[in-house]
Amino acid sequence: MKEIMAIVRMNMMNKTKRALSEAGISSITAKDVLGRGKGLVDWRLLDGAEKGYEEAVAQLGQSQRLIPKRLLIIVVPDRLVAKTVKTLIAVNRSGKSGDGKIFVMPVLGSVSVRTGETGDSVLDDA
Amino acid sequence: MLMIRSIVRPDKVDNVLAALMEAGFPAVTKISVVGRGKQRGIKIGEITYDEIPKELLITVVRNEDRDYVVKTVIKAARTGERGAFGDGKIFVSPVEEVYTISSGMKETAGGVIEEVKI
Repeated sequence: MKEIMAIVRMNMMNKTKRALSEAGISSITAKDVLGRGKGLVDWRLLDGAEKGYEEAVAQLGQSQRLIPKRLLIIVVPDRLVAKTVKTLIAVNRSGKSGDGKIFVMPVLGSVSVRTGETGDSVLDDA
Repeated sequence: MLMIRSIVRPDKVDNVLAALMEAGFPAVTKISVVGRGKQRGIKIGEITYDEIPKELLITVVRNEDRDYVVKTVIKAARTGERGAFGDGKIFVSPVEEVYTISSGMKETAGGVIEEVKI
């Protein structure tokens, strides 16, 4: 089983939830987070500042802002990873920077607190 | 790829974020959390505070950048010369695949980059 951690735009949450449940993935955990990505760094600006151009130095320090995002944590069996990722990309993609990232990580086990079951049977089965 | 989760003091967050930016790792996600550590919280008189506010910072980096990023965070998050209880922990865990939603690009642990067909 795999843990899929996706960071998406806040206003895409409803669409994402709907698309995921239509794809048969109903269990998700979501959290409000703040973050920044690669997009806010203007490398030309940094290069300029390094070379000592004053205009470039003056514009530095603007990029410390953190942007509100939604973090989704979804644990799925191995065979559903590709489907989940494709659903997430299809819904959230606008082509602009800030659409978010998806991380796929290994999970060693899962247990249902209510029944004590372990393994893949705890997870979504689509 | 590795996910580096650092739990740091809320008042050190700006410090850590600035240090990471300077080190060339701008991409960070921040979550407010509460927790306790090995010292079982803080005991003041009769009352034990075991839900101490902290900030969780998540960065995903390439394997070879691991030590550099961890050292950067430690340096920026430590209080005083030798540190103090409550400065936090850093956890490193493997990440198998990273997708950029805007471009649909997939990067695997081996460094292979390809486009996902939807």
